[in-house]
Amino acid sequence: MFSETEISVFLDELDEKIEILNENLLLMEKEEGNPELLQEIFRAAHTIKGSSAVMGYDRMSQLTHEMENIFDRLRQGTLDISSDLVDLLFESLDLLKSLRDEITGRGTYVDIETTVSKLREFASGQDHKACEPAAAERSTAPPAGCASNLTEAEEDVVRVAHIRGVKAYWVRVQVDPHCQMKSVRAFLVFETLQQYGEIIKSIPPAEDIEKGEYGDVFELVLLSHEDAGIIRNLLMTIAEIEAVTVNPIVLSDEQPGVSAVSELAEKTIPPDGVQKATDTAEAKGREEVLKQAKTVRVDVQKLDNLMNLVGELVIDRTRLERFVEILQRRYGTNDLVEVVDEISTHLVQLTNDLQEEIMKARMLPIAQVFNRFPRMVRDLAHKLGKEIDFIVEGKETELDRNVIEVIGDPLIHLLRNAVDHGIERPEERAAAGKAKAGTILLKAYHHENHIVIIAEDDGRGIDVNKVRRKAVERSLVDEETAARLPDAEVLNYLFLPGFSLSREITDLSGRGVGLDVVKKNIEQINGFLEMSSVLGQGTKFTVKLPLTLAIIRALMVSIMGQVYAFPLANVMETMHVSRSDVRRVRNAEVIAVRGKILPLICLSALFNGPRPQSHRLSVVVAGIGERRVGVIVDELLGEQEIVIKSLGDYLGRVPGISGATILGDGRVALIIDVRALLREAAREVTGEALYAAG
Amino acid sequence: MAQKFEIAKDEEQVVVFQLADQTYGMDIAAVSEIIRMEKVTYVPRAPEFVEGVINLRGRIIPVIDLRGRFGLKGAEHTRQSRIIVVEMAGVTVGLIVDAVLEVLRIPAESIEPPPAMVDGVDVAYLRGIALFDGRMIILLNLEKILEEDEKETLGEAEAAAEVTV
Repeated sequence: MFSETEISVFLDELDEKIEILNENLLLMEKEEGNPELLQEIFRAAHTIKGSSAVMGYDRMSQLTHEMENIFDRLRQGTLDISSDLVDLLFESLDLLKSLRDEITGRGTYVDIETTVSKLREFASGQDHKACEPAAAERSTAPPAGCASNLTEAEEDVVRVAHIRGVKAYWVRVQVDPHCQMKSVRAFLVFETLQQYGEIIKSIPPAEDIEKGEYGDVFELVLLSHEDAGIIRNLLMTIAEIEAVTVNPIVLSDEQPGVSAVSELAEKTIPPDGVQKATDTAEAKGREEVLKQAKTVRVDVQKLDNLMNLVGELVIDRTRLERFVEILQRRYGTNDLVEVVDEISTHLVQLTNDLQEEIMKARMLPIAQVFNRFPRMVRDLAHKLGKEIDFIVEGKETELDRNVIEVIGDPLIHLLRNAVDHGIERPEERAAAGKAKAGTILLKAYHHENHIVIIAEDDGRGIDVNKVRRKAVERSLVDEETAARLPDAEVLNYLFLPGFSLSREITDLSGRGVGLDVVKKNIEQINGFLEMSSVLGQGTKFTVKLPLTLAIIRALMVSIMGQVYAFPLANVMETMHVSRSDVRRVRNAEVIAVRGKILPLICLSALFNGPRPQSHRLSVVVAGIGERRVGVIVDELLGEQEIVIKSLGDYLGRVPGISGATILGDGRVALIIDVRALLREAAREVTGEALYAAG
Repeated sequence: MAQKFEIAKDEEQVVVFQLADQTYGMDIAAVSEIIRMEKVTYVPRAPEFVEGVINLRGRIIPVIDLRGRFGLKGAEHTRQSRIIVVEMAGVTVGLIVDAVLEVLRIPAESIEPPPAMVDGVDVAYLRGIALFDGRMIILLNLEKILEEDEKETLGEAEAAAEVTV
């Protein structure tokens, strides 16, 4: 049996390869026959096949074996890419994921027979193509100097050769098209090269070449001590050889290889006639090698622990700052006090930097989430008979992994909406004078301390007046007010639970989840969702997310002698009001602020304590989106950076409390759940008053 | 090895503590540490038996007042009061007791099933009674105490979820 660590390493690798397959399968459909792409896909499947066989996951190995066969055929050019084939490959990929879930215990037994036989059918179905002698005439030559078209075993040979100081070359020989004795020329080439090195591969196979059964070009992989220029010159002396290119092979994933590759790159003088493309390909390869050498896989748990430790450090730092203040007050400007002050200041700087660095380490490119979408959009569009160009921008934008984990579902929903309701059918679009294929843009970028994600379509848009009518119909608003409301505010009704415009319920949107859920999910991570739409032109959703969830700025208040924290993102302002200004509306307290009515909630009463008796009341105006609530607290204490900690599984969700943090003096302060307070206020005040406040 | 086996079979190691004039014991395997009483942060609207939360070296753990849990009269915490930190099924919880007395090895044969009622404590929370060294020690069924709580808090969470909709 394998240890847990081994299995987890295997699973990590598996996830990575599945991701590669997923991403490249889509690209493959678009860029038909891109050899590098096919090579990468092939390699991913090959790796999974190998490692799953080692681990004893036979079905996974069998499935990937069949997939690999298909990829190999595609690579050889003996099988064409078709939409059906891509569908089947995606089906296999899904099956692969199910097999993975089976291993992790999240899934049940997976049967692979149906898919495997379909794959086999495909692999054999176009067999006649393989027999065509034209195989050698493939127009897609492997990119010069690149390691593609090498099998894993051949790569190993090259790798070993590199380590031994032997260079590997990709030799491309072009023979005069009018040559009468191709077999002789080829024989001479082989003869010459074998004096200076070892040929480990040839395309087409050596026997075919020596029989003269090749087009005008054949290719060889040569291991040699000689320089590329010398080899090229040697070959050029053979008659009827029109052109020769000799390019060093760079393995993109060379393992111990940084030194080997850079040495190779430095020592090899680029031979004449080497295209510029080689240089860039080589440079790219080198870059990849360097990049890989610098990364290390770290268990997420370790990062979380590190983050916790930094959190502790931040707490001690705050304590020290307070301590310095006390010292200064007690002893004034004293040498010793100044030294302590200096240390404290330095510590602040250090912990800030440390905190930032660890935050960065926790960051992941949003590609993790985005990469799932092209496939989804494609499948959906396929199913609905729509043509969609799906454009993804800013995949490399990084954000905290916690945020990444929760942002997936809301985005899926927005994209599904766009495909299902946004983009029209091709004929409908043509009639409206639009391009037949709709465009959906998904874009992420940094903006100040936030990540902004935009999901935009150029579909039919939303009829604001229809929303108005619907809102009046559902008596959410009276007709007169509705007419006066600006469009942007009218659209907000779409975020209310159960508010839907679509009459027909498709199997996509009839799932009882609406925009309200999307909005709620995003707000739960202190994010913000906005939408705008122009009828006939499209709809745009803007999601604003915090960079991290772990550390926030908070307003500290005291209630019944205990400290509580309001996330600053939810605090609009603070104020002191006179008790005589508080009005009662039905059974709720409200106050007028700048002509608007603000519902009030008394926290101490809510927390089963006595109401504050003082004449002046301290009020925190908290809000999310458009909604506001005034929260009466005993005392306002000031702002502070806090590390969010969970109350733990045992307590579960405590109403009104979203988490806790540890204060400078080591005590625990609870974090107020502003969302819950808004709900509370909504319950006390009538809906009408609440909307007026917004 | 053989000796250890013997202990496991014929003896039980328990942490013995005081709660409202009664002597209780809990399996030492579940106890991760015993700390002095400290300032507990009250968590409003948490289940009533939850005294609050404390900071245990950077971790926030809930603290349960065992008196409250057993429906016994509450009492002021004294210098003798302790928090027994237990860890079971992945959750860490502190239990407030009046005083921790000692750690005892109790022979298995001196443990008897619990009577129907012990000083108002629900029999479901008890695992047995040990008559040992002329004392009566009530052994707690820790799993039950924590498990039941979980169900209640879960109910609470569900209620909260309902409000959301």
